Amino acid sequence: MGKYWSVFRIALADRLVYRGDFFLSTFLHFVPIVTTILLWDAIFKGSGKATLGGMHYTEMVSYYLLVMITRVFGSMPRLASGIGLDVRDGGLRKYLLQPIDYVGYLLAWRVAHKIVFMMMATGPYVIVFWVCRGFLPGWPGLTTLGLYVTSLVLAFLLGFSINCLIGMFSFWFLEVASFLHLFMTVQYFLSGHMFPLSMLPDSVRQVVVWLPFAYETYYPTLIFLKQLSVGESLRIIAVQATWVALIWAGIRLAWSRGVRRYAAYGG
Amino acid sequence: MVRYGRILLRFWKNSLIREMTFRGHFFVQVVGEVLWIAMILMFVRVIYTQTSSIQGWSEHQYLFLTGTHLLVKSLFETFFFGNCWRVSHLVQTGDLDFVLLRPASAQFLLSVEKVDFTALANVPVAAGICIWSASEAGVSVTVGRVALYLLVLGFSVTLLYSLLFTFAMTSVWFVRQTGLQSMWFYVVSLARYPSEIYQRFAGGVLWFVLVFVIPVLLVSNVPANVIVRELDMRFVGYLGLMAFVMLYLSTVMFRFSMRWYRSASS
Repeated sequence: MGKYWSVFRIALADRLVYRGDFFLSTFLHFVPIVTTILLWDAIFKGSGKATLGGMHYTEMVSYYLLVMITRVFGSMPRLASGIGLDVRDGGLRKYLLQPIDYVGYLLAWRVAHKIVFMMMATGPYVIVFWVCRGFLPGWPGLTTLGLYVTSLVLAFLLGFSINCLIGMFSFWFLEVASFLHLFMTVQYFLSGHMFPLSMLPDSVRQVVVWLPFAYETYYPTLIFLKQLSVGESLRIIAVQATWVALIWAGIRLAWSRGVRRYAAYGG
Repeated sequence: MVRYGRILLRFWKNSLIREMTFRGHFFVQVVGEVLWIAMILMFVRVIYTQTSSIQGWSEHQYLFLTGTHLLVKSLFETFFFGNCWRVSHLVQTGDLDFVLLRPASAQFLLSVEKVDFTALANVPVAAGICIWSASEAGVSVTVGRVALYLLVLGFSVTLLYSLLFTFAMTSVWFVRQTGLQSMWFYVVSLARYPSEIYQRFAGGVLWFVLVFVIPVLLVSNVPANVIVRELDMRFVGYLGLMAFVMLYLSTVMFRFSMRWYRSASS
């Protein structure tokens, strides 16, 4: 465990090196929310309806605001492409030679990055949420909060495992960036990032619930917004855990098969 | 001029060779891009199942705006985004030295070396959306209007290049510049909607800033207006003026930043 703690501490230091870059990126994160608020305002006004996809205007805006928080947990920038690079340029060799589990290493690194991100982004997020407080439903009860936090942790593990599994494809394909691009596109849409999945036609929605993406963003956000009962929330958490377990098993299988194919070119 | 033309051709040829080395990768990427466009169109369809008009834009006018936006975005990404993105890497590694030492304009070499043929593949798709939605919107298009539309597209791409290149050069001070990718993503997010929706925010201040100060809202809205809505020559003129002013400023910024560039490594 000590070695993963060291990885964690190194990653913390690494994340804090380029603070200017970080603050700029964090600030820019908030640009789309303004567009979202204005676009949905125009859509609601144009439609003349009080609710769209089962949500009032304020609920719609708070959905997008909460999606931003949920996405912090589930998004894994450069994880899959990083694995691809390690396989392609031979960098993976150094992990194979050390008494360290590569996936465990990546997980420790990612946890550290997420923690630093949350520490540094708290200020800007608090400001934006305070400015937008008129749209937000207020704090939910402790039960809902507990369910939300649990679903966020699972959303993190789900995002990590899916991206890790895609990264493992690089043992078989030299360039995973193309798959990654395809995947990111599908994920962005099917996770409910673009719009609440309740607005999709029923036939499409029935397919979407059988895929893991909605459990990364859409459902955890609905838990916070109290659009789901406690029983439904627990069911969502159980589905998340099942997906994590299944994909984790896939990672282990891909790793054991992939390492046998790995030729350690370059490095 | 001829020499620069030859350099440009050589760069394009090299990029094509590189792209065709991984053909499978190229085709999967193209599929990904087309999928993304399909999802944007689905978003538009979902919106217009709920309303018939957004700030006066009908569904087909909105689709034309979306097609135009994709056209501008794809052209910029084809020729310039990868190059702007590469600047911070070159600064970080010190490899910018090799560009500066060559006997040609360093800004030119930095700006055009890579061509993204995946993004180029989106151009016919975007053009198809424009042609289809314009015909569905029932607008009468003249040759003059199409020529003006193409000219305005050129202004839009020039303006985006100038903004992003100027921003990319700040990596001389920040060193790591992952913000560039975020910035491009958000410019794209802002510019793809009707500019009128921004007029309601903060008493129109945001709209004013995004139209007149950092005119990213003009890059899709002005060309779309040329074909499917009212033609306002004042905005066309302003976009053209800003494209050239920002292009000039990008050269000033490049020269200024090079005074601070310290190279890296040994």
